[in-house]
Amino acid sequence: MPLAGAVQLAMLGLMLASAPARAEGDRALGEYLSSECTSCHQSSGRQVGGIPAITGHPAEQFVALMNAYRQRQRDNKVMQAVAARLSGEEIAALAAYYASLKPGARSDQPAAHAER
Amino acid sequence: MLASRRSFLSGLAAAGSFAIASPAVLGQGKPRVVVIGGGAGGATAAKYVARDSNGAVAVTLVEENEAYQTCFHSNLFIGGFKSYDEISHRYDALAKNHGVTLARARATRIDRDRKEVVLSTGDRLPYDRLVVSPGIDLKYDSVPGWSKEAEEAMPHGWKPGRQTQLVRQKLDAVQNGGTLVMIAPPNPYRCPPGPYERVSMFAHALKASGRGDCKIFVLDPKESFSKQGVFQEGWEKHYGSMIEWLGPKVHDGIKSVDPKTNTVVTGFETYKDCAFVNVIPAQMAGEIARAAGLAPAGGYCTIDPATMKSVADPNIFVLGDACIAGDMPKSAFAANSQAKVAAMVIRGELTNARTFPARYINTCWSLIETDDTVKVGGRYEARDGKIAATETFVSQPRESAELRKENQAENIGWYAAITADMFG
Repeated sequence: MPLAGAVQLAMLGLMLASAPARAEGDRALGEYLSSECTSCHQSSGRQVGGIPAITGHPAEQFVALMNAYRQRQRDNKVMQAVAARLSGEEIAALAAYYASLKPGARSDQPAAHAER
Repeated sequence: MLASRRSFLSGLAAAGSFAIASPAVLGQGKPRVVVIGGGAGGATAAKYVARDSNGAVAVTLVEENEAYQTCFHSNLFIGGFKSYDEISHRYDALAKNHGVTLARARATRIDRDRKEVVLSTGDRLPYDRLVVSPGIDLKYDSVPGWSKEAEEAMPHGWKPGRQTQLVRQKLDAVQNGGTLVMIAPPNPYRCPPGPYERVSMFAHALKASGRGDCKIFVLDPKESFSKQGVFQEGWEKHYGSMIEWLGPKVHDGIKSVDPKTNTVVTGFETYKDCAFVNVIPAQMAGEIARAAGLAPAGGYCTIDPATMKSVADPNIFVLGDACIAGDMPKSAFAANSQAKVAAMVIRGELTNARTFPARYINTCWSLIETDDTVKVGGRYEARDGKIAATETFVSQPRESAELRKENQAENIGWYAAITADMFG
C-alpha cells in the first residue's frame, strides 16, 4: 500500500475512533499525552493500590478534575505537577482519549491511530 | 547456536506475518528497529513501537535474560515487604501481544557503519533505528580495595537479580548488635534516593526481627542527598539512632575496604569486623554504549533532549540510566517516559506517524518504614539544550501520617502500572 494511502486510512480510522468522544478533543494528541499517564494509571483500567482507574472517565468530569489539579484545588503533588503545564486543548485531548476507552476493555492493544 | 539462529529467523518470519502494509520509507521493505536491553527503557520502547505501528515496523528486543527482576522495589524485597517473585517479570507478552521478536542473547557490539548489532550467538541484526538502553556498569576501581571479585563478600545490589538476593542474605545473617556499613555512590548514579531507602529497609528488617541494637553507618561521598530532610526525620522517628549518615567532611574519605576482614577504613575511623558491608560504587553507561562511541566524554551518553537521539549517531536512541537526561534522575520511571518519546520519534521517521513535542515525567517513591513513604518528582520538556524541569515537587518534613500512607498506596499502584506498561 502506498504510504499516502496508509496515512489516509489511518486518518479515517482516527476520525471514526474519535467520533463518539468530544469533537473538540484531539484524540491522537490525547493518546500521545496519555503515555505520561500510563506509567501510573493502567491502560487496561485495572486498579491497584492508591492510583485510580481513569479509562472510560466521562470527558467533562475528566476536564473538571484536571482543572482542579491545575488550580491546586485538589491536593496531590504528582497530579498538580502533571496538570500545571497542560493547556486547555491538551486537557480536552486527554479527556477525549480517555472517554473513548471502555473501562477495562483496553488491554494494551494497538493504538487507534496505528499505521494499518 | 544453530537452534538459536533458527528460532531467530522463525521469530522474524512470524512477526512479518502481521504486516499488512509495508511502507517503503527506506526503500527496503519493512523498517527494522532493534532494541538493546529489556529494562524500563528498552522494554517500553520495544512495546510502544511494535504496538503502535501494528506490524508495520519489525521490532527485535535483544535481552539475554529470560526474566527481569526490577531494581525498583528491590529495596522492598530486601526489607521483607515484597517477595522475589513479585519483582520478577517475563517478556512473553511483548512477543505474544505486540509481535516483538525476542532475541535471547547478549549484544556484544554495535557496528554503526553497517547498522548492525552483533550478538553473543554470532548473529548480526541489521537495523534502521537502534534503541540502546543497557543501564549502568559499575566502576569497580572507584572504591579502593573493592573489585569485581569482592562483590560477593561486599555486594552492591545495584544491578537486579543475584546481587539483590545476596544483599538480602547478608542482611538476614546479621546478628543483633552488629555493625553495618553502606558506602554510598557519588553522582550521577542510578536511583538517587535508592541508597537511603535501602538503609531504611535494613533498619526496618533488623528492628522488626529483634535486632534493633545494630548500627548502620552510611559513608557518603556527597555533601547532601535526595530527600535528605524527610529521610533523616524518618530515621530518627522510626529507628532512633540506628542509622547514622556521615558526609565527606565527617568521614574524610573512604581510604580502603578489605573484603577478607570486612573492614572499612575512612580518614577518621576504621570499622572492623563489620557484619555487612554494602558497597555501591560509582557508575557509568553500560559497556556496549561506551564501546560504540556514544559516550564521548567517557561516563554517560549525550542525547538530543527533544528526541532522545544520540548526538553521536542520528540512527541511535539512548534511554534511561545510560544517558545524560538533564534534570531527570536515573530512574525506571524516567526511562519509561523517555522510551515513549523515542518510540514516537521512531514511528514518525519510519512510518510517518504523527509526532508531538517531547514531554517527560518522573516520580520516585521511597519507603522509610511501614506506611511512611515520601516522594520526589517532576515534569520536564526539551529546553535550553537539555531536558529541563518545568515542575518539581518533594515531600516535606512533618507531613501527616495519612498523607505518607497515601504515598505508599501510590507507590504500590505505580509499580503495578509501570510493570504492566513495560511488559503487558
